[in-house]
Amino acid sequence: MTTPATQTTPIAADSLPFGQRPPKELTDLAVLIGGQGGDGTLTVSDLLGRYFRKRGLHVYTSRNVLSRIRGGHADSSIRASRDPIAAMKAHVDLLVAFDNEAVQIGQPELEPDALILYDSSVFHSDLPNALGFPFATLAGSQLGQPIYKNTAAYGAISALMGFDPATTRQVIEERFKRRSPEALEKNLKALEIGRKAAMELPNAHDRWHVSDGDAHNQILTIGNQAVALGFVVAGGRFFAGYPITPATEIMEYLMRYLPPFHGVVRQAEDELAAINMVIGASYAGARVMTSTSGPGLSLMTEGIGHAGTAELPVVVADCQRVGPSTGEPTRHEQSDLAHLAHLGHGEFPRFIIAPGTLEDCFYLTIDAVNLADKWRLPVILLLDQALCQNSATSAPLDLSRARIDHGKRLTEAELAQLTSYKYYQFTDDGISPQVPPGTPGAFAQVTGNEHDENGHVSVNPVNRVRMMKKRMEKMVHARDDLPLPQYYGPSGAKIGFIGYGSTWGPIREAQELLALDGVPTRFFQARTLFPVQTHTLAPFLEGVEVAYVVEHNYNGQFAQLIREALPQHHAKLRSIVKYDGLSFRAPDLAARVREAR
Amino acid sequence: MTPLSVKPVASTWCPGCGDFGVLAAVKKALIEVQVPQHEAVLVGGIGCSGGIHNFLEINGIHALHGRLLAQAVGVKLANPKLTVVAAGGDGDGYAIGMGHFIHAFKKNASILYIVMMNETYGLTKGQASPTAPIGFEGNVEPPFDAILTALSLPAHNFIARTFSGDPKTMTAVLVEALRFNRANQGYAFVEDLSPCVTYNDTFKDWRERVLDVSKLPGYDPTDRKVMFQLCLDTMEKGKIPIGVMHRPAPKTTDSADSLELKLLPDRIGPAVTGIELADNLAAYDKLIKSVT
Repeated sequence: MTTPATQTTPIAADSLPFGQRPPKELTDLAVLIGGQGGDGTLTVSDLLGRYFRKRGLHVYTSRNVLSRIRGGHADSSIRASRDPIAAMKAHVDLLVAFDNEAVQIGQPELEPDALILYDSSVFHSDLPNALGFPFATLAGSQLGQPIYKNTAAYGAISALMGFDPATTRQVIEERFKRRSPEALEKNLKALEIGRKAAMELPNAHDRWHVSDGDAHNQILTIGNQAVALGFVVAGGRFFAGYPITPATEIMEYLMRYLPPFHGVVRQAEDELAAINMVIGASYAGARVMTSTSGPGLSLMTEGIGHAGTAELPVVVADCQRVGPSTGEPTRHEQSDLAHLAHLGHGEFPRFIIAPGTLEDCFYLTIDAVNLADKWRLPVILLLDQALCQNSATSAPLDLSRARIDHGKRLTEAELAQLTSYKYYQFTDDGISPQVPPGTPGAFAQVTGNEHDENGHVSVNPVNRVRMMKKRMEKMVHARDDLPLPQYYGPSGAKIGFIGYGSTWGPIREAQELLALDGVPTRFFQARTLFPVQTHTLAPFLEGVEVAYVVEHNYNGQFAQLIREALPQHHAKLRSIVKYDGLSFRAPDLAARVREAR
Repeated sequence: MTPLSVKPVASTWCPGCGDFGVLAAVKKALIEVQVPQHEAVLVGGIGCSGGIHNFLEINGIHALHGRLLAQAVGVKLANPKLTVVAAGGDGDGYAIGMGHFIHAFKKNASILYIVMMNETYGLTKGQASPTAPIGFEGNVEPPFDAILTALSLPAHNFIARTFSGDPKTMTAVLVEALRFNRANQGYAFVEDLSPCVTYNDTFKDWRERVLDVSKLPGYDPTDRKVMFQLCLDTMEKGKIPIGVMHRPAPKTTDSADSLELKLLPDRIGPAVTGIELADNLAAYDKLIKSVT
């Protein structure tokens, strides 16, 4: 895992002026690039990410954009480390500011010895650690257009951080080679303009040196992309959705991925249509998914209940954001769990599966599709904004770990052996053998009304009880099919963490920080949230004296679910919650545990 | 092959309900166009009329209130070989389902949508529906007209209005609509005037007022503008226009406008394509490796 920021090589010569010091070696660094939306902060982050990856470093990026197309403050953060990372660093080493607002916003995030690199053609800063470069003016006067200022900034950073010049240039060539030759040429010039400006400034260049790493066999992806890939590999062939931040990329990736596989992706007129289109396609026998976020989830709720009682497999990816109502569309939260656990009017079975890493996003999506199909019910794939949209390096995805489980789907030959076919046949595990409509000899009568085994509407009280048990007890019978938790840290540790989703990264780092303090901890990464996995949670809680349930909401929703399921362990559970729209940072988590001791 | 599934249940409709006419006409039309029984899917709405799939020996899905068109389009796109009929009431289609109602014309998937229109919510005992005349159960809003709306939406659709009091014509129209669908021409919408004998028995009134527009001079169902005017003129005279309102010139497969052919030109849908890992491994490997 990560080497915390405090572990970068100490420098004895701090009292010397810049130019006379040896460069400080960085093994884990963070750069924050801020400006107005449209300033190209993402471009700078992208260029840096390409450089760091070429040098074998792990990379994690996040962006902070307002819910508008252009304008307004926007910033991108990038962290690079010799060790795997899945969260932002607590503090920033370099702030790149295209306007003064970026300085105001970024300043509280800075390390004590951080630098601010700002565009002095836009504003002036008197801060002692601020270095001004007229990026926009330089790009405008020498290249005709100020838009090259972001590449110029990248050039200046390369000088400050002692980048390898050949790799620095290679990044520009790769990034812009698909554009016009003119664009490539101008960006290469912009790179030199920025680099030269920094080199000419006394005491600025080679302030740092970024260590090379050995993470060369990595991919860079976001959770939403890994989910889309997992869906395709799981045999998912029908997707309908409605654009909503932070879920939209799933639909956009699938629009590219599915057509060559006879797949269909539809952008529906609303979330009501999206969930009902996937229900129709599921009935017809396709493996289906929709994706949404809070407001869309609310609209889909009736449909998800319909799928639950009609026993139609659907996967709903919920990319959680700040709610309720429109909330903060681009900000991070994990506040839909309580709603999902108790989703809908009436009662129906559902599984809630929660990936915590980019790899999880791929493999657990495959599991979710199989589980829905086998158990014939809705499966919620619970994600969160940070996991969905922050890009990071990850181990390559492994197809040999994928599998397809059709459950009790009948072949035509098996169907021919039957003397009768009932769509909702009572069975020991609640799963009725199925063929899709279009198969000769078997009619699929499906309804959201209570129904008998034949799918005909029924209000018979005896039938009602049997049907309720058939559906609800799937949550019991499926126990051993559901994704298991992952455990991290020594098994004898008396302090526990429980978390899901993107809290994985901060918790793993907090564990390392605490371990350095001699505080061993054990982390239960929940991957099935509902039904609450008492058979794994109870032994975990028995092994610790206290368990911190880390989550992004006000009420401590996951902790409440666990308390409800395991009241005997009530006293051991402590909530660590955060609901300001931002992800946890490891040092804050570690501090919360230290304070409590 | 003898069906393994059980027989349909007896209808729950009131004696004399207009919906019996639709049930009979749907049955006859499916037989006439020779839809293989296992390849027909009936998607029912919520309301009295929506139970129709229970009364036929057929694949059926009973949708959520207002959502039958979304589910029907999902079925069709998942397996374009299926003949998909959506059928429900005017409350289901024109009130709670209005968003999907409009979009169905635009989507233009080759499904047939039959609205059994009776101006009232029968199942909840007689409230005004969006088509109710002013004064009915305290209604103060002018009635919605589905045919005028359908004619205003430019798309390659089949549009017609029929009357349950004339089952022969209705059957002929449904046959034509199903043939339009099965030739992958696009969406077919048929509004059937289907009186609720309990809460709004309009049989006698409608029998006197219906006017078959195909008998009028200037009738041209390929021309929306002409048909819109013809319908408006008919309505101004206190009559209810019925008949085929839009019958676009057939498109060839190459110029197909239907959603399923645009998305799935080889007609192999998501529900019937091979998803086994072994068959797709090379393509998956390429896809996964495209992420660097």
